Amino acid sequence: MTGFARDKTAIVGIGTTEYVKNIGRSELETSLEAIHQALDDAALTPAEVDALYKIETPGEDGNSELNVARNLGANNLRAWGGFGYGGGGACAPVVYAAMAVATGMASVAVAFRARNRGSGARPWSKTGARVRDTGAFEAPYGLVSPVQQLALVTRRYMHEYGATSEQFARVSVSQRSNASRNPRAFFRDPITVEDVLSSRMIADPLHLLDCSLETDGACAVVVTSADRARDLKQTPAYIAGASQGMGPRHYMMNGLLYKDDPFDMPSLYAARDVYAAAGMGPEDVDVALFYDVFSPMVLWQLEAYGFCQPGEAGAFVEEGKIDWPDGEIPVNTHGGSLSEAYVHGFNHVLEGVRQIRGTSTCQVEDASVALVAAAAVVPSSALLLRRQA
Amino acid sequence: MTSDMIAERPLPEITELTEPFWTAAKARRLEVQRCDDCGTYRFPPEYGCAACSSTAYTWTEVSGRAELYTWTAVHPPLLPYFAERAPWPLAVVQLEEGPRLTTNLTGVDLDEYEIGMALQADFEDLDDEITLVVFRRG
Ligand SMILES: [Zn+2]
Repeated sequence: MTGFARDKTAIVGIGTTEYVKNIGRSELETSLEAIHQALDDAALTPAEVDALYKIETPGEDGNSELNVARNLGANNLRAWGGFGYGGGGACAPVVYAAMAVATGMASVAVAFRARNRGSGARPWSKTGARVRDTGAFEAPYGLVSPVQQLALVTRRYMHEYGATSEQFARVSVSQRSNASRNPRAFFRDPITVEDVLSSRMIADPLHLLDCSLETDGACAVVVTSADRARDLKQTPAYIAGASQGMGPRHYMMNGLLYKDDPFDMPSLYAARDVYAAAGMGPEDVDVALFYDVFSPMVLWQLEAYGFCQPGEAGAFVEEGKIDWPDGEIPVNTHGGSLSEAYVHGFNHVLEGVRQIRGTSTCQVEDASVALVAAAAVVPSSALLLRRQA
Repeated sequence: MTSDMIAERPLPEITELTEPFWTAAKARRLEVQRCDDCGTYRFPPEYGCAACSSTAYTWTEVSGRAELYTWTAVHPPLLPYFAERAPWPLAVVQLEEGPRLTTNLTGVDLDEYEIGMALQADFEDLDDEITLVVFRRG
């Protein structure tokens, strides 16, 4: 029932700025830097770009498609769009870039995300004196930020499945170990479970080191047809499957708790459809890039994407099964949002491409299929990339 | 932390959809929507029913009996009002009729929070217009 233009398109270029606390440039400037680099990587030119897709946050318009197109010299845009829901949209611009190319609507599509989240204000700090929508029933009680929302979901997960803070900490430790080999990573010093558990409590049970970085940076990828990809400079990362997923009666993060089953998460639906689209299952995946704004989310992704049964991911992580290089399914080999950078998960797409090319600093041997999954807890998206079409 | 954060406790913006909830709370009644067609209770307020797609509903008083479903205690960085009172506890409770609400507990120390504990709706007047639904031990 679900379909996708399997292997008809490929990611042929990737680009990124540095990841720092304060990059000192606008999101438009960092977008352009990442896009130029991705085009250079692909050996394509800005003038050939005819589609632009981005992750966007309401109220941010500095790097709108028209601003980027003008400054890039992409003077014949045929398709564009922005995708919301924060980290749930991490893969969505690539999904639509592939759709535009596969349908023939465009020939060279760029997907990107720029975010000054290290130097800019936290979104919740702009909470007004009056709050509307579901926030009207949350903010007056003191609930305004993602970490608070996820702490509530995490506590319930611990209650239902017996997961522990030590298991969440293992995610941060594993990813930091990967980041220690990655020169782009913001944090590279190895940490221990004890370091995580003794770090400052932010929203019980989530400690500081269970939380993602707050960094500035931008990422971009170039998507074109599989036919054209074969003649370009880089090993193509063919897009075998792509999906978005929401599921029933979904709100944003804390709103999971208003559903009959909070763990009936959007990622379950994105997982179902991305596997069906690619004709694959978890057993085909060599490396997983999971959106990880808070460490427990990696456990929920492992369950949603079928690497373990509901409630079993804590033990799975504790047994080292997500660790590079020897784990059953190495996760976030770049360090993820917990250690490399927070770019709303778009840096995970780039790492998926590096794994397919064989150029990761934590390369999974003979990796032929990479799964990239956006946030589990908000309207989500996913990609399956592979080496051989 | 940015210096332009609001100093006071954020308040709900009352809309046409949510006005019955706040009017009931002011009168010390907890009301949620109930679908006229399939009988599903729902919260937060919506125009349509996710279970049967009906747009017909009635604001219905519920018992106020509930259980603690999950909780957290939040630490700075926080909005100034809550930062001054940190660690600030947050709760999600499940009503016996099914819906869950984000709330605060009153008269319960942080070390007494236990998932499943019996609770009862209570009301906290913030000003002449807004009364929050909170919960105490049931
Ligand atoms: Zn109904």
